[in-house]
Amino acid sequence: MSGDADKVYSTGLTFAEAEELHKHLIEGTRSFGAIALLAHVLAFAFSPWLH
Amino acid sequence: MNRVSQKLMSTWVRLGPRFLPFADAATPELPLSRLLRLSLFQVSVGMALVLLIGTLNRVMIVELDVPASLVGIMISLPLVFAPFRAVIGFRSDTHRSALGWRRVPFIWRGTMIQFGGLAIMPFALLVLSGGGDAAKYPVELGWAGAGLAFLLVGAGLHTVQTVGLALATDLAPAEARPKVVGLMYVMLLFGMIASALIFGLLLADFSPMKLVQVIQGSAVATMVLNCLALWKQEGRNPNRGKSSRPAPTFRDSWDNFVQGGHAVRRLVAVGLGTLGFSMEDVLLEPYGGQILHLTVGSTTKLTATLAIGGLIGFGLASRVLSRGFDPFRMASYGALIGVPAFLLVIAAGPADSAVLFGLGTALIGFGGGLFGHGTLTATMNLAPPGQSGLALGAWGAVQATAAGVGVALGGIIRDVVANQHAGQAFGPAAGYDLVYLLEVLLLFAALAAMLPLMRGARLAQN
Repeated sequence: MSGDADKVYSTGLTFAEAEELHKHLIEGTRSFGAIALLAHVLAFAFSPWLH
Repeated sequence: MNRVSQKLMSTWVRLGPRFLPFADAATPELPLSRLLRLSLFQVSVGMALVLLIGTLNRVMIVELDVPASLVGIMISLPLVFAPFRAVIGFRSDTHRSALGWRRVPFIWRGTMIQFGGLAIMPFALLVLSGGGDAAKYPVELGWAGAGLAFLLVGAGLHTVQTVGLALATDLAPAEARPKVVGLMYVMLLFGMIASALIFGLLLADFSPMKLVQVIQGSAVATMVLNCLALWKQEGRNPNRGKSSRPAPTFRDSWDNFVQGGHAVRRLVAVGLGTLGFSMEDVLLEPYGGQILHLTVGSTTKLTATLAIGGLIGFGLASRVLSRGFDPFRMASYGALIGVPAFLLVIAAGPADSAVLFGLGTALIGFGGGLFGHGTLTATMNLAPPGQSGLALGAWGAVQATAAGVGVALGGIIRDVVANQHAGQAFGPAAGYDLVYLLEVLLLFAALAAMLPLMRGARLAQN
């Protein structure tokens, strides 16, 4: 699939461009995960699960 | 790459373009609806600013009992990132991307960072206050959490605003820029006023749970507003990503930028003028209360008076500048109006006149509006081709730093004078009056810096 580097798919994107878009998605998911983890640590310190 | 990634990627390439955040074929003009949508990022920046400087400042001191000095440090943390705006702008100018994007990745990352800061902020503040179970843990946890939250929000809002303004410069043709600048300022002000009212309303009966809901709600609002703002705004230019030339270094770009059109002088003028228009920011209300003995209700109206003055200034500047008026002349008129405005405020004390005070405040807003609009329009118009990010970044770095330092300095000078015997000899107004006088001097200095810029503009026209 990735062999055809210059093929433009129906979105007007080549595979390299789709890969970049995907990179942003992965990066976003990772930062979101890190934020959630941090928020949970702090929330737990204040009151274990807001009890 | 694993199988899930493979699958998702083939989904992206097959999805209809309708669901992808690219601008359609470049349109010759920027319709108002699209411009309004773009300006939503300013609403989210305004919201974050109000939350940091206004709402949380009060909540931390009054409701959460955090020492005022610690609150002061936390609130000034976002300022650390202001000087880096120039670097952020430069990075977005030279960003390499297969998609040919320069601005969207930065606005997206900035949004994510601001969202992240706001998402952890309420818990960090609650831990900082030592409430709940937090006392069981070392105090450093609260400091680190709150410090990180404020840093993240600061980094996010400076990134979003710098790159968002650069995108607006890219999109708007030169003759439309005064209107774009006016709209950006109005939306910032709108975001600040609307969110101040909403936060005030929602936090009227304070509880830790309410704080979590309100701040995390603002995190989600940031995400929604910024995604709406950047959706299908920036066109793609894949050739930009393919260029084999090595990217210029920041030093090269900066040297190139500084050579053209009095860039340093322009930045100095922006710094002096902004300092001149921001030192009174936290002093007007206590001045009204302490010196003129106004009630809390009427001092709150001052903020509205200042904002209305600013709105009239932005509106007038937009109209006049879009007819081709010299933006530096406009900025100078702003500074010239600021001088009598501050003198009126000073005179209001001995005259014991709330009317003079209100008039002075409105004129400060009006002059500040003209000055801000004129300098930002000039920055956009004079940005070298391909360097609008750097130009807007440098403007923002100076403007945000001067505003932050100005507000802090105003408070410090007043306190120092008020606490000294020599200062007390001149009466309770001495501290305030000294700050207002300094602002008058700074505005004169800004005027002096701008004079050659105006002449240059006139010579260029002849």
